[in-house]
Amino acid sequence: MLGFLTARQAGLDDPLRLRRAESTRRVLSLELNHDRDVDRIHSNGVNTLDIEVIEGRYMLSGGADGVIVVYDLENNTKKPQYTCKAVCTVGRSSRYVHRFSVETVQWYPHDTGMFVSSSFDKTMKVWDTETLKPAEVFQFEGNVYCHHMSPIARKHSLIAVGTKDQKVQLCDLKSGSHIHILQGHRGEVLSVRWSPRYEHILATASTDSRVLMWDVRRASGSLFSLDQHNGDKSKASSQAVNTAHNGRVNGLCFTEDGLYLLSTGTDDRMRLWNSANGENTLVNYGKVCNESRKGLKFTVSRGCIPEFVFVPCGSSVAVYALHTGELVTMLRGHYNNVDCCVLHHDYQELYSGGKDCNILAWVPVLRLPDIEEGTVAKKGGSQATVNPAFQDAWSTAPHEGGRGLTYCFWILLTILEVVTRP
Amino acid sequence: MQMKNDLRSFISVMNRKRALISDTFKLTKRRAGNETQFGAVNNGEEGLLDVKTTLQDIMTLFPRKLFNDSLPQIVLKHQLYSIHKDRTQVDRQLSDLIDQGEVLMFQLGFDAEAFGLVFAEDYKAKVLAGEEGRVTKGTVEKFLEKVLPSCNDLSFNKDKMLNEFLFKDSEITQLVKSGVLTVRDAGSWWLSIPNSGKFTKYLIQGRKAVLGLIKKSKYNEVLKAQLEERRTNSQVKFQIKYHIHDIIGAELVECIPTTSGILLRCVD
Repeated sequence: MLGFLTARQAGLDDPLRLRRAESTRRVLSLELNHDRDVDRIHSNGVNTLDIEVIEGRYMLSGGADGVIVVYDLENNTKKPQYTCKAVCTVGRSSRYVHRFSVETVQWYPHDTGMFVSSSFDKTMKVWDTETLKPAEVFQFEGNVYCHHMSPIARKHSLIAVGTKDQKVQLCDLKSGSHIHILQGHRGEVLSVRWSPRYEHILATASTDSRVLMWDVRRASGSLFSLDQHNGDKSKASSQAVNTAHNGRVNGLCFTEDGLYLLSTGTDDRMRLWNSANGENTLVNYGKVCNESRKGLKFTVSRGCIPEFVFVPCGSSVAVYALHTGELVTMLRGHYNNVDCCVLHHDYQELYSGGKDCNILAWVPVLRLPDIEEGTVAKKGGSQATVNPAFQDAWSTAPHEGGRGLTYCFWILLTILEVVTRP
Repeated sequence: MQMKNDLRSFISVMNRKRALISDTFKLTKRRAGNETQFGAVNNGEEGLLDVKTTLQDIMTLFPRKLFNDSLPQIVLKHQLYSIHKDRTQVDRQLSDLIDQGEVLMFQLGFDAEAFGLVFAEDYKAKVLAGEEGRVTKGTVEKFLEKVLPSCNDLSFNKDKMLNEFLFKDSEITQLVKSGVLTVRDAGSWWLSIPNSGKFTKYLIQGRKAVLGLIKKSKYNEVLKAQLEERRTNSQVKFQIKYHIHDIIGAELVECIPTTSGILLRCVD
């Protein structure tokens, strides 16, 4: 890391390079931390988590008991031991609480005055954070599996809703109408996602094994359907033609730049798609265990090289490198199935929630200062514990220092020779 | 002294100028309990992944005598994953080999994801040898010459066969009879290996038996080296190493590195 710092200081490297290197190092050293805890409020599984984008300070969680909690993630006590306290709760005693399990919660993308939650009681409620009362309630005909509001939208304020019904409904926050319907799926819609690049592009995933891409301004159906064989009709059995997965598709996530889309399915596969033309990039992640009957919420890192995908896999969270498909590590700590995970992009901290009612915080391990040789006896592991599978190429073992020195001298002599030439 | 340090850091930075950030977090081989894996190319260095050599290595495990030499040597695609960790690279190299026409891929039928790989010359030789003295020989030869070099598909449908390759209905029936094509659904056929039914049967039988061996042990786990030494019962017709690559690649067992070698644990 010193090399990066020196380069940044001297102006040889772009400032972004140092930031990316440090973010990557932090993501690679994620570990369950004894000092960081999240208040345990839910009495049934935690289904969904969301961190607001403005300050990154407040986190929403929705549980299978219908309860919604807002946590404060910031540590203002001067001690390292910190429990993220629940700031406010919409508990079972509230008049407006959801009757059944809350499936998705999302902060309003532009400020924390409002958040939206959708639940199996066939409603979607738009809440005022101050008073914790719903400002608007949308009724649907079937259980609501998921909803999403576009994080970049300026021209519209539509919430896309996926329900047990085959239609994807678009609810308008400004007018309160929910007449706009997208027809095309033949099964329940398990996941919907707006593109973070174009405010009118929407991706939806359903139990009919297909993922459809829509432009909401278009009157006639979807733009295209994602095909796992890229149009090669010969590869699969005839039923699997033009499908994204060989089972239900239950998770969708765009990368930060919106150029790629990830989808997970109950055929235990995760696929990376080029979101512009729907091509399967054929990155092979291996078996990504997925038995979820509802939507799966997973996330992609931002600003690291290489980008990482954090996907709940049974009772642990699997971390894969995005473009190569290799499994970096499995984060184990939950006692039961993990349902959702969300990354705090500024601090590279991962929060995951599952059926064991716990929200666990995975925090990058701090790099302790190096102890000078000769002063204290070797305290094993003075270097930070990066995932043992990875070793940084810039830290050399003591016995290799000699070789490095002679190499440096050789370079020095060559440069001096070049400099002194007339 | 100050200048020397500055110069040194300057030099290291200059060397790094062209380096990628991801290179600073390179994956290195874990040092503990490392035995050379069968046919592994990357022993300690970031060796080049050679799918063709690995294919040839695994093919030596295929029991030719069992089928009286009538079948070409078949390797399953996921057996390659048990040797090379980077699946995407394996897939890419494999599709290159298929495009060049050196390797043929077949849908084996018992699993949507199980693909068999055969060297093209091997396949042609065995199929023609099997057709000696049969009525269908001419059609099969025509098929092998016309269709295989140009088309890399796993399956063919009716209009392709009739229009593109100009085969008649009766010829298609002959091809199905000879085993080169198997019915997929009305009007389309999979490319297949004649007489490979026995192979599939023995493979599934053997796979079940090997998994049973692991399940019977305490805690459902066995060291890979120990499993290779075990005596197999009559259910397992192939070499046990062939089955081990199969179950590791298909992710039916988890590979856990320990100080005494790799441990295989059954995934429920």
